[in-house]
Amino acid sequence: MSVISCLRLSSLRNNIISPTKCLFTVQREMGGHGGPKKMVITASRWQWHKYKDLLHFYTMLGLIPLGTLVFAINVFIGPAKLAPIPEDYIPKNWEYYHHPISRFLARFLYPSHQQDYEKYLHFIYEENEKKQMRLLETKVKELMAERGDSQAFYYRPILTKYHRFVRKVYDDLDDTRGY
Amino acid sequence: MGVGDPLNQFEAFINAVGSVFDGPVTWFRESVVDKNRPDYPWYHRQFRRVPTIDECYTDDIVCFVEANEQFKRDRMVDNEVLSILRQRHHDCILYEGHDHKEKCASIKEQYDKAAENWFIKYGDLGVYGDVKAAYMKQKHRMLWERRHGPVGTGMKNPME
Repeated sequence: MSVISCLRLSSLRNNIISPTKCLFTVQREMGGHGGPKKMVITASRWQWHKYKDLLHFYTMLGLIPLGTLVFAINVFIGPAKLAPIPEDYIPKNWEYYHHPISRFLARFLYPSHQQDYEKYLHFIYEENEKKQMRLLETKVKELMAERGDSQAFYYRPILTKYHRFVRKVYDDLDDTRGY
Repeated sequence: MGVGDPLNQFEAFINAVGSVFDGPVTWFRESVVDKNRPDYPWYHRQFRRVPTIDECYTDDIVCFVEANEQFKRDRMVDNEVLSILRQRHHDCILYEGHDHKEKCASIKEQYDKAAENWFIKYGDLGVYGDVKAAYMKQKHRMLWERRHGPVGTGMKNPME
């Protein structure tokens, strides 16, 4: 749509024309069968267009490449066959899964079951050590509270500085007054 | 006539309808898939036997955890064994029908004994019953049997 402004022309002719009357658009009447062009008020089709956008996006990026990858893996590599463990052989941790994708993930991405188990045992051991120490501390505190014989937790020391101050005051009074 | 041959025309027709779906899939499997797949194995995880709870020191938490895990695995295995025996008994009842009381007696006795042993070891431990609870249950049972005789023969009077 081409926009024509008449402000430039009006400045040459020194006519004051308000801007609201100046901007008008030129529209081509092609064919002209429908009559003058109208602005049709319809409900928004934005959600439908957005849905199509997302559908195309996820199909092109996800469904087709990943689908062909998974199809190729299943057809050309295929799942493993169950076999008894041979003598004197310790299987690697990824050889305990049958699907090739699970084997890949177990081999390169996930920690092994043995690693997880040993970490768990170590964690339990450490927490148990802390628990035993806390139990011991609680027992010692209880005994100190019960017996009150050690100069540690429940001992209230006798401060003598106030006694000394009071005695000094009395001594000074004795010196000055005589009684 | 072989075992898999259709018995009559109707069965032959149904087989033909099924092969419309089955034929292409089977052809694809045999010609494309089976030829190109490599042969490689996978194994079932096997757990080694670890020291049981009666061989653990009282302050050894790692030994207790491992013994507990082994106990839980053994309990799962025993559950499945009992399920198999029970299923065997039920199949025998279904098969024999009205004279199952005589025909299935040996299978029933086998299952009853196994269920009794399962209850002695794992029964009444509760949701939080771990291997220590089972061990203590065994100890209490042995003490009870020492005091009163085998379980099922009644309690003795404490005055005796």
